[in-house]
Amino acid sequence: MEEQPSKFRIKDLDLFYGDNQALKDVTLEVRSHRVTALIGPSGCGKSTFIRTLNRMNDLIDHVRITGDVLYEGVNIYADYDVIELRKRIGMVFQKPNPFPMSIYENIAYGPKIHGITSKSLLDDLVENSLKAAALWEEVSDRLHKPALGLSGGQQQRLCIARVLAVEPDVVLMDEPTSALDPISTSRIEELIFELKKKYTIIIVTHNMQQAGRVSDTTAFFLNGVVVEYGDTEKIFFNPEDSRTEAYISGRFG
Amino acid sequence: MDVSNHTILSRKKEKAAKALLWTAVLLTLAILLGIILYIMVRGFVSRQEKSYFVSPFLEETLKSEETGEYAMKIIVHRQVKISDLTMEDLRTIYTKSRAENWGHYSMQDKRITALAPSRNTPLGKAAETLIAGPEGGFGSYVAYLEDDEEMIRRIAEDPAGIGIIEADTPVTNRKVKVVPVRRIVVAVHPSVKEIIDNRQLSVITEKELKLVLSGDITDWKDLGGHDRPIRLIRPPEAWGLDELVSPSDIPAADSPEDFFRMITDLPDSLGLCFYDDAAAGGLSILEVSRREVKGNLTLSFLLEPPARSGKWGGISTIILNTLFLILFTLLFAAPAGVLAAIYLVEYAKQGPLVSLLRRGTETLAGVPSIIFGLFGNIFFVNTLGLGIGFISSTLTVTMMILPTIIRTSEEALKAVPLSYREGSLALGASKLQTTFKVVLPAAVPGILTGLILALGRVVGETAVLLYTLGSNYELVRGPSSSARVLSLHLYFLFSEAISFDRAFATGAILVFIILLVNYSTTRLIGRAGRMSG
Ligand SMILES: Nc1ncnc2c1ncn2[C@@H]1O[C@H](COP(=O)(O)OP(=O)(O)OP(=O)(O)O)[C@@H](O)[C@H]1O
Ligand SMILES: [Mg+2]
Repeated sequence: MEEQPSKFRIKDLDLFYGDNQALKDVTLEVRSHRVTALIGPSGCGKSTFIRTLNRMNDLIDHVRITGDVLYEGVNIYADYDVIELRKRIGMVFQKPNPFPMSIYENIAYGPKIHGITSKSLLDDLVENSLKAAALWEEVSDRLHKPALGLSGGQQQRLCIARVLAVEPDVVLMDEPTSALDPISTSRIEELIFELKKKYTIIIVTHNMQQAGRVSDTTAFFLNGVVVEYGDTEKIFFNPEDSRTEAYISGRFG
Repeated sequence: MDVSNHTILSRKKEKAAKALLWTAVLLTLAILLGIILYIMVRGFVSRQEKSYFVSPFLEETLKSEETGEYAMKIIVHRQVKISDLTMEDLRTIYTKSRAENWGHYSMQDKRITALAPSRNTPLGKAAETLIAGPEGGFGSYVAYLEDDEEMIRRIAEDPAGIGIIEADTPVTNRKVKVVPVRRIVVAVHPSVKEIIDNRQLSVITEKELKLVLSGDITDWKDLGGHDRPIRLIRPPEAWGLDELVSPSDIPAADSPEDFFRMITDLPDSLGLCFYDDAAAGGLSILEVSRREVKGNLTLSFLLEPPARSGKWGGISTIILNTLFLILFTLLFAAPAGVLAAIYLVEYAKQGPLVSLLRRGTETLAGVPSIIFGLFGNIFFVNTLGLGIGFISSTLTVTMMILPTIIRTSEEALKAVPLSYREGSLALGASKLQTTFKVVLPAAVPGILTGLILALGRVVGETAVLLYTLGSNYELVRGPSSSARVLSLHLYFLFSEAISFDRAFATGAILVFIILLVNYSTTRLIGRAGRMSG
């Protein structure tokens, strides 16, 4: 496991919302083809951090970022085209957010804006993405029905399929199951397990069991600082920092 | 079980509140339905109480002492919308020197083609004496035909034709109809029309007349006159009017002369005679009113162009003008307004400038339209020299509805969840793609609602158009041609007292257009919204 090359290298990252510092001195390495979980109490900066990786924070006014975020050795804030970056680094949000279009159109949207027009190519992409997101069986006969007619869990898998259709390299997931019931949650966890073979996954979760089940590496955030970072097993069973132990054992957060 | 006082009290309050709510709801409903129903009823049927010199008695077969055995009837083309003609009308039609227009009688704008039997035939002579009167002859535009068959054929071919045929000739052509004539008048002794207590009896209703003739009303007081008995006189047998007068124990005239003498000599007398004779004998005449119920909003009203400021004809060109105005204003205002809203919501940096802009549009959206009319007239019509006409009004109305469209589109765009934008951007879409492929489609129902609101304002607009569009009731022919739309037409019909019936019919059409527009948008929005669950 140690030999896995690093996908992201984050060095001395500070992020300010106006005068309010949300990330302090974050230094991390994210390994390729692994699932990295980000845990920590509410408001500690997990979402803020994960959104720096595909530059979603650019959308917010008054955000100031210092430090380096290197993706495959390239500084994404200096030397990377943001559209190209987001193509490579997909994102799944906390609340399923399918577009108000048909299931098919939702999946085909990404490839289409990236210039794919061939109908048969799109058809294939839609089918493969839905299969990869374990949704094909359920929706293959209603591809042209509105996506908003799906259940919450199906919608979230659709959003994953939508990301996969762009053929990304990394998939960021910000609490992808927090709005779902236990059965939908476990289906998504299984899916993450599958996806890990092809993609690098970074997932934010409030659910300790989930972090334990799906991730290889875990980072514990507290007040914008990475308190502890390492193999999930070690963080969960043998944490070095007392604050990590306190959080994991449920004393705060 | 014990129910606490507090519970009982809150139950009572609840009941009282419910009752209040229901009253409010029912009141609103009643008012709404009342208004719409009133407009619809007045729009669809015209009911008028009209008084005439002649009584409502109809005669299909016309003859007189002078015409001897030659009885005749009047025929017109089926499309002429009259159910009867008075003797006076008939005389005017045939004695005018230039062609009369049907407009005066049926409100159809077409020149009358008056045909008469040849003066060489006995029927022709009889017709001229009867219709033109003893002194006058037919006008020079009347054309003469040899026989009845030809007359019927010619009239069947001419939608504005009127003709005279022998009473016995059957009319089998379905395009021709026989028009009954009203020429019986109610002659009275002058004493009946004397003024008492500042009131004068000059008109009675059709119903009252029938009751007098059947002997059920016997006193002038019951008709609003003197307190004296009505002295009913039986007309001479030669006139063939006996059966209209039922009582048998009344003085009867032996001859026309006898009748005239009795009417002029006997106070409080009343009798029926013909229009001509009454005019010739200088008799006092009691007018009779009748209730005329007619279709107001008919198909031909929709399909015919207006004439004489809308007094005659229909509103076809005006409907088309309205549609053109709607189409062109939306063509200008919709893209401009939606794009402006997109800029304000998606692109503009939300600072003091944008909020000033927003405040400005909000204010403009509420500005009374007459101010836009003033602006349009000064700016487009005069300063730019576009003149009163279609283009000036289109631009002014565009200015007027633009703020509404911007405001509603802004709201619609703002209502699109941020998560759609994030989802799209996270897939590597550009801002432009996100805006036009995700945000705008999601906002379509709201934007459409705004457009409809704006459209409603255009349809109902009068003040602006008064100063920029003019009043020509013909079809718009170009950007600078003056025109009239429905609301404006209604305004003129009403303010120039041209016809209330037509004003209501136009109003009903306006209401219909609004209903139609609302209905079709609801459908459209439904279709657009179906993808969003
Ligand atoms: N758009 C924003 N503008 C200003 N401050 C923000 C913004 N987004 C987040 N913050 C602040 O940054 C800090 C970190 O927020 P963040 O959303 O990253 O926390 P989180 O760990 O994801 O919390 P949660 O688990 O509740 O999602 C919080 O104090 C929050 O108030
Ligand atoms: Mg978060």
